[in-house]
Amino acid sequence: MNIDNENKQILQMRNVSKIYKGKGSLFRSSGKDVIALNRISLDIYKGEIFGLVGESGSGKTTAGRLIVSLEETTSGRIFLDSREVTALKGRELKAFRRKVQMIFQDPYQSLNPQRSVYDTVSEPLKIHRMGKASDRKDRVREALKAVGLSPPDDFLFRYPHRLSGGQRQRVAIARAMVLNPEFVIADEPTSMLDASISAQIFNILLTMRNRLGVTQMFITHSLAAARYLCDRIAVIYRGNLMELGPAEEVIKNPKHPYTQALIDAVPKFGHSKDARRYGTLLSKDHEVREDKGCIFYPRCAVADHNTCPRREPGLSQIGIDHWVACFRQGSKESGLTPFTYGLAEGR
Amino acid sequence: MTVRERFPLLNSFLDGWSIFKQSLLGRIGLVLLILFALMAVCSYIPPLIDPMYNPMTGVDPAITCCTPPGMRHWLGTDFMGRDILSQLLAGARVAFMVGISAAVMSIVLGVAIGMTAGYMGRFIDTLLMRLADMIMVMPTLLVVLILAAVFGQLNIWTIVLIIALFRWPGVSRIIRGQTLSLKQRPFIEAAKVAGASHSRIIFQHIMPNVLPLAFLFMTFRVTSAIITEAALAFLGFGDPGTVSWGMMLQWVWKTGHMFKAPYWLLPPGICISLITLSFYMLGRAMDEVLDPRLRKEDQTD
Repeated sequence: MNIDNENKQILQMRNVSKIYKGKGSLFRSSGKDVIALNRISLDIYKGEIFGLVGESGSGKTTAGRLIVSLEETTSGRIFLDSREVTALKGRELKAFRRKVQMIFQDPYQSLNPQRSVYDTVSEPLKIHRMGKASDRKDRVREALKAVGLSPPDDFLFRYPHRLSGGQRQRVAIARAMVLNPEFVIADEPTSMLDASISAQIFNILLTMRNRLGVTQMFITHSLAAARYLCDRIAVIYRGNLMELGPAEEVIKNPKHPYTQALIDAVPKFGHSKDARRYGTLLSKDHEVREDKGCIFYPRCAVADHNTCPRREPGLSQIGIDHWVACFRQGSKESGLTPFTYGLAEGR
Repeated sequence: MTVRERFPLLNSFLDGWSIFKQSLLGRIGLVLLILFALMAVCSYIPPLIDPMYNPMTGVDPAITCCTPPGMRHWLGTDFMGRDILSQLLAGARVAFMVGISAAVMSIVLGVAIGMTAGYMGRFIDTLLMRLADMIMVMPTLLVVLILAAVFGQLNIWTIVLIIALFRWPGVSRIIRGQTLSLKQRPFIEAAKVAGASHSRIIFQHIMPNVLPLAFLFMTFRVTSAIITEAALAFLGFGDPGTVSWGMMLQWVWKTGHMFKAPYWLLPPGICISLITLSFYMLGRAMDEVLDPRLRKEDQTD
């Protein structure tokens, strides 16, 4: 994972929040606001694949949508190549669209059923007036070949209903890649696909990074996928950043109880016992009297009942590029040292 | 690569046709419709044979009152000796003209307004939809009657225009709903991320997806336009310069032949019923083509 221009940030998020206002009814002025993202700050370096891991509803997709400016941030700032994204309009926005692309979760929904593969993949080129019509066809062919749809001429004039899920997702990737973007957000690109197809999609993404140096943000709920693909991982829980660090480090040596719970949740196969290594999830939630404490407190088994519900833990550095938002990390009596019965460390 | 794969419209048309074929309603409707179309085309022939067969002005000099069918006049003549068959054929032409042009106009209006409302949302949506509600609750026939009473006799094209202006709200509601749901679909967002402008999104992504529905509604709008025109004409507010089936019925009624000359009363009445029925059946069959849930189990592959 040695990257040439290491430590050169391509994307910076600074205290980014997104709050969905509750819809008030006629008789009640406002409903409950939903905090999708709570003051997230992170950097993504040029050429890396950055994993954003969390359960459904954790705000990981929202983060992606904010970055490609499909939605507006409530507060905080996002920079791409040191230029602020949140305020872009008109021509600048269009130039930004050329650099940042997104691969959507559901390939059955992300392709227009009325448009052929060629229409779909060539559309970004048309929008940005890149190349002549004949050039475009070549570029589309190239893009299709790069995602493993070959021979490309077989696919050019097919319609989405005549493609399988994996083929559709490849088309979606080709659409994102045809502009040669600098940064691509892949929002759970494999959650609707079979495991074997998923592996192929992962390899396409890896090749994109290795050959073209495309920086990627990979949004997923699966730690296994993140470990396979990503250089660094951020774990997010209900809109809050819980842990951030190099992929191997976060998975082999998780410091946050929530990350540990996620690792517990990974299904195990073969002769290994179905044992939990950490046991950090409570079966019954703690009561919360004030809501200014740690967001994970209600479900946390190792919580300190004096501090955790009262103060919000900020991110603190605990290793090389390894950050955790937890008061209890590192303390011996907290139970955070993995109790391993039957299951060897690592895999 | 086959020809079918090259041309999306042809392809979806052929796909639709293979489903349409299997629907009995659709086949009956189509046959009836072709018959009426033939009638409309043939309406140009009788006046060429002899000026007395002109549906409006041609009077058989030998006849002064209405006569039953015979060799000279296959369906008989009306009270002043005009040929009923040629009137019936001309009526088919008028029915198609009124039905299709009113339907096309109301669909174009409805699609444009519905898509605007659905896509823009917020204030414009509210404004347009309240307007649609207001027009929707107005009884078309009554409004046209009042207009006719105020402005005197209405031209056939004025009637068509009024029908179109009063018939778009239903369409625009449906199209708005469809647009609202399409707007949220990821492929629209993907287009946005690619940098697509609003007009590109509207015309290239949303419109092709709402047009099939609009075509379906067109068949139902044709039916309602034909009925409205017939009702107006029967009540005596039609265009006196055109021979429509409603007009023929009005002549029957006015000259007191309602129960004396069935050969004059029945043909236009049956034609109005059958042409609306055929458009309705066509619409039902198209409904099946567009909505897979309506297809019978054994018909899906």
